[in-house]
Amino acid sequence: MNMVQQFDPAQVDYTKDLGTPGPQSDVKVTVLIDGMPVTVPEGTSVMRAAAMVGATIPKLCATDSLNAFGSCRLCLVEIEGRPGTPASCTTPCQEGMSVHTQTPRLDKLRKGVMELYISDHPLDCLTCPANGDCELQDMAGAVGLRDVRYGMAGENHLHKGKDESNPYFTFDASKCIVCSRCVRACSEVQGTFALTIAGRGFGSEVSPSEQQPFLESECVSCGACVQACPTATLQEKSVINLGVPSRKVKTTCAYCGVGCSFTAELRGDEVVRMVPDKQGGANAGHSCVKGRFAWGYAQHQDRVTTPMIRDSIQDEWRAVDWDEAITFAADRLKAIKRTHGVDAIGGITSSRCTNEEVYVVQKMVRAAFGTNNVDTCARVCHSPTGYGLKQTFGTSAGTQDFASVAHADMVMVIGANPTDAHPVFASRMKRRLREGADLIVIDPRSIDLVRSPHIHAEHHLQLMPGTNVAVLNAISHVVATEGLIDEAFVAERCNAASFRAWVDFIRLPENSPEQLAAVTGVDAESLRAAARAYATAGNAAIYYGLGVTEHSQGSTMVIAMANLAMATGNIGRLGVGVNPLRGQNNVQGSCDMGSFPHEFVGYRHVSDDTVRDQFSSIWGVMLREDPGMRIPNMLDSAVSGDFKGIYIQGEDIAQSDPNTQHVAEALTAMDCVIVQDLFLNETSQFAHVFLPGTSFLEKDGTFTNAERRINRVRPVMTSRTGLSEWEATCALSEAMGYPMPYDSAAQIMDEIAALTPTFAGVSFDLLDRLGSVQWPCNEQAPTGTPIMHKDGFVRGEGQFMTTPYVPTDERSTRKFPLLLTTGRILSQYNVGAQTRRTDNVVWHAEDVLDIHEADAEARGIGDGDWVEITSRAGQTRMRVRISDDIPAGVVYTTFHHPVSGTNVITTDNSDWATNCPEYKVTAVEIRPSSEQRA
Amino acid sequence: MNASADYKRQHLIKMANQIADNVPTREDVPAQVSQHMRQFWTPEMQQTLRDIASSTPDFLSEEVHSALRSL
Repeated sequence: MNMVQQFDPAQVDYTKDLGTPGPQSDVKVTVLIDGMPVTVPEGTSVMRAAAMVGATIPKLCATDSLNAFGSCRLCLVEIEGRPGTPASCTTPCQEGMSVHTQTPRLDKLRKGVMELYISDHPLDCLTCPANGDCELQDMAGAVGLRDVRYGMAGENHLHKGKDESNPYFTFDASKCIVCSRCVRACSEVQGTFALTIAGRGFGSEVSPSEQQPFLESECVSCGACVQACPTATLQEKSVINLGVPSRKVKTTCAYCGVGCSFTAELRGDEVVRMVPDKQGGANAGHSCVKGRFAWGYAQHQDRVTTPMIRDSIQDEWRAVDWDEAITFAADRLKAIKRTHGVDAIGGITSSRCTNEEVYVVQKMVRAAFGTNNVDTCARVCHSPTGYGLKQTFGTSAGTQDFASVAHADMVMVIGANPTDAHPVFASRMKRRLREGADLIVIDPRSIDLVRSPHIHAEHHLQLMPGTNVAVLNAISHVVATEGLIDEAFVAERCNAASFRAWVDFIRLPENSPEQLAAVTGVDAESLRAAARAYATAGNAAIYYGLGVTEHSQGSTMVIAMANLAMATGNIGRLGVGVNPLRGQNNVQGSCDMGSFPHEFVGYRHVSDDTVRDQFSSIWGVMLREDPGMRIPNMLDSAVSGDFKGIYIQGEDIAQSDPNTQHVAEALTAMDCVIVQDLFLNETSQFAHVFLPGTSFLEKDGTFTNAERRINRVRPVMTSRTGLSEWEATCALSEAMGYPMPYDSAAQIMDEIAALTPTFAGVSFDLLDRLGSVQWPCNEQAPTGTPIMHKDGFVRGEGQFMTTPYVPTDERSTRKFPLLLTTGRILSQYNVGAQTRRTDNVVWHAEDVLDIHEADAEARGIGDGDWVEITSRAGQTRMRVRISDDIPAGVVYTTFHHPVSGTNVITTDNSDWATNCPEYKVTAVEIRPSSEQRA
Repeated sequence: MNASADYKRQHLIKMANQIADNVPTREDVPAQVSQHMRQFWTPEMQQTLRDIASSTPDFLSEEVHSALRSL
């Protein structure tokens, strides 16, 4: 036993498994553990208290990510004054309790228990993939087991076969000790309830769904069960193939905006597995199938690791060294500048790249190119969030941390599908919903949250696509006309004149649920019930996604949600707020880093003389005061012949942006298209220069997630390309005549901090010490700001704004009678460039079109048939799936596979304020097709 | 005018009218539209819209015309 001499709470190593979760309580109790006094929050288990002072008690069924279960009987202790030997995991500490963790009696009992376990376990430790990483093996050693008196010939489970159906892990039932950790992880952590223990007594066994293979079960492959398993029963195939890891690096996932912290475990330079970090502020030890398993694309054979150039897009690519590629690109851009002027070139930053990589791209465009023509892929997802929340609250970001949802009494999910697109946050949310929080879902589709194990949305407002603002106005109308406004909050925190104007507007009969029902398709009484439930819940939190922003009134809708939250006092404390679920890993960061054409880093307008002077001074160059072009404006100008050159960092606009034909026409019209990416993508078909990018496993920098959390991204392996992406950008900038001589990514962050009030306290050193921080992080908030607008809005007073509903121009007609809406699924990510190059394709090999049975029948379409989808913008083909997840009149698909051509049919309608494309509403007609792909 | 340049003009016309239809507070819409354009539109886009207002005034709403006068 490694016993400390005196208990010091600051010395507890929380990275270790303390056996049971730590309860939240202000009441403390003091107990004696083997004579050592330890003071812990009330409700702390004896096992955890013992682990905190280094008195590690043997255990098998306990782990601190799961509630105590008390089944393995290995963690027995003796307590003075109490009979018997209770399980320490299920015994809470009580004031004055004196516990003995090691006595001859306990030694004998534990050894006996282990003997029974081992009598039904293969004795193949030397060849077992978990050798050296097996808790059963550890416990056998801990209790001093030397032999098994019963022999190995009795009835046992050693003949049980392996389930290898899942592409990422195996289930070897012969090694299972039925501790239920996997079952509990699936229920408590993930919230899917795919696993159970089937049978009784000796016949008990872990069962995916109804004793199906894992791949065919309801399992979502989050891997929580694999992580929880104390033996090699559930084991990563990568560990089986490569062996137990020998070194670890902490880093951050590069998929969705949750931004999970991981420990990359390696052998040499080869990743063996990714283990979610228990200390991770965003994920608290959980992960999804993408983050934990789908990292193989980083080493995929399709990766291009050498720069390439070509004179025209009809030519073959020519591999060259970095110097030649950079010189070629710079010469072309300089020639365009000379001939067509500085505004004929520009750049696009990527939300997949680090803050530091994004920062240097926008700096290069502004300082080296000499224009503000820089935009980011956030243009096509959450630009309305930045606009709407800045107008109303004063900050272009969500209000809460993810942990806040645990304090919500009411969760309103609008235009988001967290279980697929933000699965790790969804698990947090589902836990709170299982605890009893109420749920309102506002979505045309019956997303998983509407009805899933132990969760049922009390209110599902199944609106027609394009009517979000009408629905929110109607909800606010109910709040404002039924006396549900939090008058005290509004009086204290919000601008009075704007509130009066808003109330006068929202009370108008035209905003009533009854008048809007015909437009929205939502029954007035259902809407009124939801409005009352939100306003009277106590703590009500709004979570929303691209189903809000990707509309012609995306910005108006963000403002409408902010109005509702302010009117009901649901801002500025735990459990409330307006929370965007950001699409990509660094959408928040790429916006923060000055990627918009009208703003410098920290959302400060380029026309602000004081701010511009500050940047000019530090950057040593005169900067433009006029806004630059957004992506759609750049593309329009390219088509008209005024815009000739573009640097595209990690974005595949030819696949992801709407109206593919228009994008292709624009790219074709340019003289210099530079693509920096991992793979040759759709956009690179139009490129003259390809600069190889680095995967997140090679990057050094930071990502900022949807809760404003800045996380470190550490290089796990050496760059496959020979240069960091920021080094390549700096080389191009220097070749353009503006050197950016940074020595490290940390130095770039130091410059960001020096120029950005909300980042003033951020440094790699701080992040290494604290793990992560949420901006603002500065003198007033040296360790960051989990909850925004606590004592007042950033803009001073909260600003109400009226939000008239304006129908989109994209309407269903006799020619195009159905409305297409788009989304994502769990196993794939965005345009699929990464996930299509992993085994995740086993779950989603192609995009399909979901159609309601009535619409299918009316067109003579059967499940699995190929159909032709025609919109005003174009035509494509897909296979259909008849689904009752969507109402009649609506069809739905994903855009993970380029061959599907989803964006061939989406239009160039966009949000009025930000030009975020209206992906969520496209009028289409569907016809049976005799052909397959277009 | 070629078709490509027309495409760009059509987008600007649509954007301008859409802004006028949607600016969230409906008091003094022209002032809000011109403020929005100053904040987010390049000078070249603003000039192109002025040209459109001169050459094809019917394509733009009255609020947009008013906004352009104060831009």
